[in-house]
Amino acid sequence: MKTAATVLLAIVALPAPLLGQQRWEQQVQGRLARAVDVLQTSRLPVVKRSGMLNTDEAASFQTTLVQGTPYAILAVCDDDCSRLQLTLLSPSGSDIAKERNSESLPTLRFTAAATAVYGIRVVMEGCRWNPCWYAIAVVPLRKTPS
Amino acid sequence: MASLKRWVLVGLAGCLALALAYLPPRGATASRDSIFVGQSVRGTPARQRAQAVADEWRAADGSLRLLRAREHFRAVAPNAWAATSLVVVSESAGVWAAAPRIADSAIHVAWQQLRLGETKVRVAVILQLAAGTQDRDRPVPEEGRAAYLTPDSTDRTTCIAVVSAGTYWTRILTGDERAPRPVSFAALVQSLKAGLGPCAFYAAYGTPGKSVRSWLASRGWDLALTLDAGQRGQQWGSLLEMADRRYPWFWDAVYSLPPSAVGCLAGRPHGCGVAVLAGASDDPAVPFPDIMRIDRRWGRVPRLIEGQRFLGDVARTVGRDRFLSFWTSALPVDTALAATLKRPVGEWTADWQRDFVRPIRLGPTPPLGGVAIALAIAVLAVALVALSATRRQVR
Repeated sequence: MKTAATVLLAIVALPAPLLGQQRWEQQVQGRLARAVDVLQTSRLPVVKRSGMLNTDEAASFQTTLVQGTPYAILAVCDDDCSRLQLTLLSPSGSDIAKERNSESLPTLRFTAAATAVYGIRVVMEGCRWNPCWYAIAVVPLRKTPS
Repeated sequence: MASLKRWVLVGLAGCLALALAYLPPRGATASRDSIFVGQSVRGTPARQRAQAVADEWRAADGSLRLLRAREHFRAVAPNAWAATSLVVVSESAGVWAAAPRIADSAIHVAWQQLRLGETKVRVAVILQLAAGTQDRDRPVPEEGRAAYLTPDSTDRTTCIAVVSAGTYWTRILTGDERAPRPVSFAALVQSLKAGLGPCAFYAAYGTPGKSVRSWLASRGWDLALTLDAGQRGQQWGSLLEMADRRYPWFWDAVYSLPPSAVGCLAGRPHGCGVAVLAGASDDPAVPFPDIMRIDRRWGRVPRLIEGQRFLGDVARTVGRDRFLSFWTSALPVDTALAATLKRPVGEWTADWQRDFVRPIRLGPTPPLGGVAIALAIAVLAVALVALSATRRQVR
């Protein structure tokens, strides 16, 4: 089941059509799939995004997180990226959590106190060959038995 | 006698001051009717105004074509990029077509020679062929110019080059029977390689950091026009390199350059540093969209002799990793470049410049005949004063 989920993720996450610069797109999609695999969850990511950014550029998007569900928010980037910052923003736009210490694989874990639209921002803090590709996944985890 | 010596000294000092003030710089005895550094004939004010309007029209039309081309490649023809980072098309009288086969082959050979395989920034080359008949309601396209649209936030991975082939290359590329003598394939490759211009740097090293990009944009990318210009001394990039310094037109060419470039030719590190770092700003700003129109014609006056290959030579000298650290650096350009070169920019550039032109000597220089006559007059004057003073002495 886990393998199937990983394969499905890889297929779904591929941009359509996959043209040009395939190497870097495939690189980040492969990394994201492996990172999700490590979480050992059978659930598919609710959100996947990928793109490319130059050094010091940022990209943001919004996603709805459900109350009481634990989530892992993962970001990966290509070989030329040296530092990626990942930030979770509250519905009002303020920072809830920020991960900038794990260089090219920042991960946040978060359980929403209320169902709402949250923001996710990724900042390309270091890229030695611009632009650098990145990919993000928001993965719901199993609820811990209470 | 003491009074006499003082007057002699004052006279000599005056002569020296006059010489420094009025003697022409070295080599500046050029004839005014040189055929090599010609001054363009000035038109009437109405003609100049018409030319200025035509130039504005060409700039606006060129920008529009570039933006349309980007949209075309992104939305209309995304399949053009399948498994490649280089796309070549030709355009004539506003109609796009596949590039002539020989041009397509030559530019792909150029791409391989530059060792650009799959790149992060892909390049679309639009080869502008001269139209057989020209619409009379718009300005004639200028030959020898190229325009570039570099990646920005709306498309981070596409650089577009519009290269004007001109009548000469159009006839060769299209196999026109009026074509001049056959041109070697290598020459065509070299010409199209140079036509990639800044897009070749984008393909090789990606999008530069803000300070480098702002610096290059402000000076029209004149230091990064050729990623690989070939061996030094194989081609003359300017009149000065082929001129013989014994003749006045060499000095005409020297003094047509900006002062910093002349200083650099003389091997002065300060002049070289100023010539290279002109346009660098502590508050970098990048135009949007970043469109460059570049004059590729031979004989244009450069800011630095062989400047078009400067950053290409820097990259070859320091290696890819060190060049990338400069290219994407957030530091000011002078600091980043000096760190990459591991030397002050001016010193490195002065040494680099010596490979193209033997350093010139600067400063005032009197003509030999003038010196002889001046000395004779001076000796005569001193002798007369001395004689007069001797006769007036009370014994």
